[in-house]
Amino acid sequence: MRWGMVINLKKCTRCHACIAACRIEHFLPMGMNWPRLIAWETDVPGEELTTIPVRCNQCKDAPCVEVCPAEATKKREDGIVYVDNNLCVGCRYCIIACPYQNRTFLSRDKDPGYFPGYERTRFEKAGRKIYPHVVGTTEKCDFCMERIDAGLAKGLVPGKDREATPACVNTCQARALIFGDLDDPESEVSKLIKEQNAFQLHPEYGTDPAVYYIDGKIGNAPSNIAPREEQTASHLQHLSTMEERAKQIFGKK
Amino acid sequence: MSQMATRQWMTTHEWMVKPMHQREWIERRGIMIWIAETFTSLGAGLYLVSLFINSWWGLLVGWLIIMFLKLPLHIAYFGKPLRFYRTLPPFSNAWKTSWFARGILFSVFFGTFGFVQLVFGQPDLVNLIGSSVANPIYYTFGVLAGLSAVGVGIYGGFIMNYVKGIPFWNQGLLPVVFILAGVADGFGLAMAVGLAGGDASVSWAETGSSYLLIINVLLIIVYLISARYTSEVAKISVKELLTGPSAFMFWGGLVTLGMVIPAAISVVSLFSGEVPIVLLIIAIVTHTLGAFALKYCLLKEGIYRPLLPRVAAY
Repeated sequence: MRWGMVINLKKCTRCHACIAACRIEHFLPMGMNWPRLIAWETDVPGEELTTIPVRCNQCKDAPCVEVCPAEATKKREDGIVYVDNNLCVGCRYCIIACPYQNRTFLSRDKDPGYFPGYERTRFEKAGRKIYPHVVGTTEKCDFCMERIDAGLAKGLVPGKDREATPACVNTCQARALIFGDLDDPESEVSKLIKEQNAFQLHPEYGTDPAVYYIDGKIGNAPSNIAPREEQTASHLQHLSTMEERAKQIFGKK
Repeated sequence: MSQMATRQWMTTHEWMVKPMHQREWIERRGIMIWIAETFTSLGAGLYLVSLFINSWWGLLVGWLIIMFLKLPLHIAYFGKPLRFYRTLPPFSNAWKTSWFARGILFSVFFGTFGFVQLVFGQPDLVNLIGSSVANPIYYTFGVLAGLSAVGVGIYGGFIMNYVKGIPFWNQGLLPVVFILAGVADGFGLAMAVGLAGGDASVSWAETGSSYLLIINVLLIIVYLISARYTSEVAKISVKELLTGPSAFMFWGGLVTLGMVIPAAISVVSLFSGEVPIVLLIIAIVTHTLGAFALKYCLLKEGIYRPLLPRVAAY
């Protein structure tokens, strides 16, 4: 069993709901982001928008696991790579070694509290009891492994049952994020990877990421604007907003 | 129109879209890594050179640099310095895969073996217990400390060389640059030890320094040329080093202070036979500043390949 994720770039609307869901799920400190949305926008017609949701790739041959001097970064049997904050010494070699730059060091200035200068709220304090983000250590996405474990214990299937599925996948309104078992040829992720020719970021590093991407145009014309027939209502609404903005800026030229 | 030439009218998040500098090990608290890495070169290099020229005072200064300047800086940089012991066996077996852990282990071995060697090489103690007892211990631990010093001097190169995302670092030559630059720095400091009244031969150290200087100049030229052909991102690193924001450190610090001035003084020494002490002191100081500049340039120009190579044309 190896948990993996397929991200359909054609469906992503750059709504940032996955980022918010992760923040809420893990009570992330103010300056901390586990998943990110990276955006590339140009004025070339037909190439207006490229959005790539990124998060820890949970690599099979993870450089961060190999370089960690304290064995604080560990890989589970199901392929999830996680950081044990009780062991991490904060040397940041894993941050340097990650070719995808999906790790963040939690420094004091990244954790000022949600109301800097004031005492933490009861909500924040409660969150810290569940997820004790330790200042001076490194953090990253762990595919919501606690949800997966709790779900499996109840006999649920991650990727199918919401309770056992990562928060970002649950919240994705456009269903651009799909989660499942990469080792199961019948799982939705395995079928999508095979049928839609999904790709990994920088496979040449030999890290074998567990996060795959689908994009019909990623080759010569990098754009994730879905073909009209595939666009959802949220797509149309989002893109119309973007086009208005583009018109305003192009009008000034 | 190429993708890179297009105008970006709005960018909500540029994370890893373009080539991006590593910041953790050079900016803010990362400056400690830069200084610690330079002390690594200076300390390990001086220890190795002192072993070669049999200078007890050189050994002592090299050992002190590693134990009281390099290691404390490295540990102070940690987010959790008090957990330092967790990088060592039996708490961690990471030395099997991690050059960082190996480096810490080399440092501990160096500290231990070097201490024993220094104790049994101390002239008063040798007189007390006799050279027949002291010398075998001194030389045995000298070999062990020397091997550890090589490890200490070279592991930083392997740490950086392992990073696949930074093509400027991901080159086989980097550990060689680290160790040879360290030995060159060691010759420079050995001159200082000799001038300060220690037992190091100044003329010997000066000759060694000249040879190492030539080797290092060639090595750095080869490194930059090979990096230029490695990838587009490594080419950007080299370009930034030669003409970009780091050019001042490269040309002013590394080339002028670290190479040209010591080389000019070496030439003077070659033709005049004897060099005034002031010139030697200038050569030592500039050479040491050049060591700082070399590590700064290497760390500063660590640039990651973008996440989307095809999009960004890298």
